[in-house]
Amino acid sequence: MQLRAASGCPGSGSANTRMAEVPSTPEPIQRLIEAFHRLPGIGPKSAQRLAYHILRTSEQDALALADSVMDVKRRIRFCSVCLNITENDPCGYCSDDRRDRTVVCVVEQPLDVLAIERSGGYRGQYHVLHGVLNPIDGVGPEDIHVRELVVRLQAGEIEEIIMATNANLEGEATAMYVQRLVGPAGVRVTRLARGLPSGADLEYTDDVTLARALEGRREV
Amino acid sequence: MASRARTYNTEGVILRRRNLGEADSIFTIFSPTLGKFDAISRGVRKTKSRMRGHLEPLTRSQLHVATGRNLDILTQAETMAAYLAVRDDLDRLTLAVYCCELVDRFTVDHAVQVDLYDLLVQLLEALNAGAPLTVGRYFELHVLALTGYEVQLSQCAVCGARLPEAEALFSVGSGGLVCEACRGAAGSGRIISVRAMKVLRFAANGTLGEFAGLRLATELEGELQRCLGEAIRAVLDRETNSGRYLDSLAGPLHLPDPEPASHVQLTSHLEPERD
Repeated sequence: MQLRAASGCPGSGSANTRMAEVPSTPEPIQRLIEAFHRLPGIGPKSAQRLAYHILRTSEQDALALADSVMDVKRRIRFCSVCLNITENDPCGYCSDDRRDRTVVCVVEQPLDVLAIERSGGYRGQYHVLHGVLNPIDGVGPEDIHVRELVVRLQAGEIEEIIMATNANLEGEATAMYVQRLVGPAGVRVTRLARGLPSGADLEYTDDVTLARALEGRREV
Repeated sequence: MASRARTYNTEGVILRRRNLGEADSIFTIFSPTLGKFDAISRGVRKTKSRMRGHLEPLTRSQLHVATGRNLDILTQAETMAAYLAVRDDLDRLTLAVYCCELVDRFTVDHAVQVDLYDLLVQLLEALNAGAPLTVGRYFELHVLALTGYEVQLSQCAVCGARLPEAEALFSVGSGGLVCEACRGAAGSGRIISVRAMKVLRFAANGTLGEFAGLRLATELEGELQRCLGEAIRAVLDRETNSGRYLDSLAGPLHLPDPEPASHVQLTSHLEPERD
């Protein structure tokens, strides 16, 4: 609250044009505010608050933040095998000899790799598509990294592809597309099971999930 | 719309979903009583959301909506039909998505079109029950008719004379089939066969169920697809997103992108999530 009162700043975004008339925020702060405002989920007020917070922190902390931003952009790249984000190419998963090289888990984005790793139940390879087919918005196969997956298959080592795309329309479409694309090559394509999440209420479960859960039922 | 009720109930087909922020989504819903409208659902992308499965695109759901300042807010949703068999088949799924996109593009917000809603539900039900993909042509022809772009099939679109049993020009600009004498006046178009004309007439006058029973040769189906596709492009003045995708599924799949993996650049793919 205190910060907002102290700022007297015209907000961000279109602020540049108005800066001449209004008692202006110093230019470096204004630039920082605008940089924060461009981040997802940060509105003009939050951007101001963050910028003034940075102003008050020690120089050491501020520089550490700046450094880590630079490092991320300079040192992180795509793994040339699985397209996961990594510092070393090939990434840790691809260069680890103890991992199964005959199974590839296909995910939409790097965060999904972490989610699957956290589960602790998977010891194979990954492939990150960096997107998902979305016919409604016109995201086609050429917009995601399907081609690289097919190239990997040509080496002949891979026996199974696990499609771990999201269980929504786009994820299903992608899984079926990959199945149709590589199925004829004799590679086994599997899909993560769909059903009730742990802690779920049957009453609120939608028909599709229930139907899938019934299909995939197991002996107790 | 002077004062609206604070909450209302409606049924609707979910046409599309756009993600907003961290866990919210905006849904485009087509309702028989309210027409097409956008509504937001908060927290719908969280695992614990009770509405998530009921709001997938292509689902027909019963909805409870609260009137919001800008966007209305979805508060409850329950599936009426999920069209499971459509979701399990790539071709059916893509065709259904294409039809939803047509409805989205051919309608304006809050314009009530019960006939179009019925047509969409009929199509989803037919696809779910295993109707052939040719029902897409029936849908295209009727979407055009129901939104004011009816294709003239029995009389010449230029002079109004009855068309003889012969090849005719399918001219999008003139609004339908054109007789031989008027071809000069009609401008560009595509000559279509007598068989294609008959199928189009059958589609225009028959029900979706009757049309689904029709077995069409691949060649004839292709001819219909081309001329109706052209008509839709001409009316919308653009390609449909899903139509392009639908075409790529028609043949055997091939690798889409000739660029090697090394071409990948970090910056182009780590953009913040579109919202």
